[in-house]
Amino acid sequence: MRNILGVVALALGISVYAPFAVAQASTQQEQQGNSQQPSAPAAAAPPAQGAPPTAPPGAGQQNAAPAPPVPAPAPAGPVIVLNPAHGGTDSGARGQNGAAEKDLVLRMARGAKAELERQGFRVILTRNDDSNPSYDDRAAMANGYRDAIFISLHIASTGTVGSVRAYYDQMSSPYVPPPDVAGAAAVAKPALSVVSGLTSWNDAQRSYLNASHRLADLIQIEVAQKFNGSGDTSLGAAIRGLRSVAGPAVAIELSSVSGPDPDTLANATAAPLADAIAQAVTAFRAVTPGGAKQ
Amino acid sequence: MTRNWKIVLAILAACVVVGLISLRGLHRRMARLAKAEVTEEQARHEVLAPPVSTPTDVPVKAQMFWAGGPDGLAPVEIELPLSADAQERSRQLLQALIANPPTPDQRTLPADVEILGFYILPDGTAIADFSDALSNETPSGILSERLAVNSIVRTLESNVPGLRRLKILIHGQEVDTLAGNVDLTGFFDLNPSVPQPISPTPPVAPRPSPSAAPTKAPHAPSAGTAPSKH
Repeated sequence: MRNILGVVALALGISVYAPFAVAQASTQQEQQGNSQQPSAPAAAAPPAQGAPPTAPPGAGQQNAAPAPPVPAPAPAGPVIVLNPAHGGTDSGARGQNGAAEKDLVLRMARGAKAELERQGFRVILTRNDDSNPSYDDRAAMANGYRDAIFISLHIASTGTVGSVRAYYDQMSSPYVPPPDVAGAAAVAKPALSVVSGLTSWNDAQRSYLNASHRLADLIQIEVAQKFNGSGDTSLGAAIRGLRSVAGPAVAIELSSVSGPDPDTLANATAAPLADAIAQAVTAFRAVTPGGAKQ
Repeated sequence: MTRNWKIVLAILAACVVVGLISLRGLHRRMARLAKAEVTEEQARHEVLAPPVSTPTDVPVKAQMFWAGGPDGLAPVEIELPLSADAQERSRQLLQALIANPPTPDQRTLPADVEILGFYILPDGTAIADFSDALSNETPSGILSERLAVNSIVRTLESNVPGLRRLKILIHGQEVDTLAGNVDLTGFFDLNPSVPQPISPTPPVAPRPSPSAAPTKAPHAPSAGTAPSKH
């Protein structure tokens, strides 16, 4: 009897421990994977202020070949977090010829990253493959840096082909029940964020709405000059992907996947778009130094 | 040993037979359930599909917002029979927004969208419940999703006084985004120039009598937005 109890206890022990052991092992594997992936900064510590721009991938392996001329290191600037929207099972907008937004924006983001790095900016991508990080994970990548600018890249289903529009978040209101619904006590009780001074994760963008609006305006001025048919002003919209970013955040949307050749369009857009972002970010930094809250 | 094996095999055979019988029953039950769901859905659509009309309908000039203009939407004035009841009036406006765009290019909401429900809370919060087609058939993209939401918001705020904010549901559920981009988890402000009904402190003033001064209590619904009962 004692033996049977011992065996049962051992079996129970294994069944309880096993999931933890597997979870731990997978976490370790993920961390190793992240450390090997140059453009997956989720686990990376925020870079110190004044750190030089990140070297391009593979820079240290080019000992034999003559190195191409390296641009002079730019002064420490913000980290530009480029977010290729959608990914994985979420294709985003789909063109008639099968073009998927998720693939086109990834290609655009890679091209823009190379161009921005060539101009001396520090750039990270929220995804560099066909994965689909959650909105929170993408925001967390930007929020991990003290001075990040979040730029989400999209391609629309509609709109004038070749035009580009910058959007800032126009947050929808959180619901607060009126006194006659929730009772006076509930209304008299101040919100948690008021008491603690903490910002709600879902409301993180709220403190940066003015800065984001300013950045979107500057980007729109640039893209209006570079892309025919683009409007003169940026627009506000309740954009889910910007809501949790604690810093200046905009979405840039190219029209559209419904054009005759969206692949060529996306490829041709990357460099001028990066140029527009670079100029807008430089101007934005000039008028909004530092954290850019309000 | 042989006898034991026979017993084991007999038990296993009995289990297989019982399993097969219950599997067939389960199949039949699932088929019946699926059929019932379709019937219920069809019945719901039949009830909801006809154009909304009430005895208080009066032809008025309504300002509708369809695609057009520099910011994506342009007002179009059309004559519509609209109810005096805010809830019915809102349904009629949304129905017209879906069904009557002047040209196909001006359409902001998919033609297949149905309004499953429209409710107004006493504090002026409107809740619009649309069928799945709104999220499935609205083209994915900030441009098109923003246009869809703004056409609803601006049409309601231009024609239904007293509405303060709008919640959009899809088939009775809160969804994260309309079609991958525009956030539907919050409330869209209507008539932002109207003072907000929610004050940080509980109201202390006594309830005004019906014949009191014409200034409205912040959260008192106007004549057009009588609390809806549903």
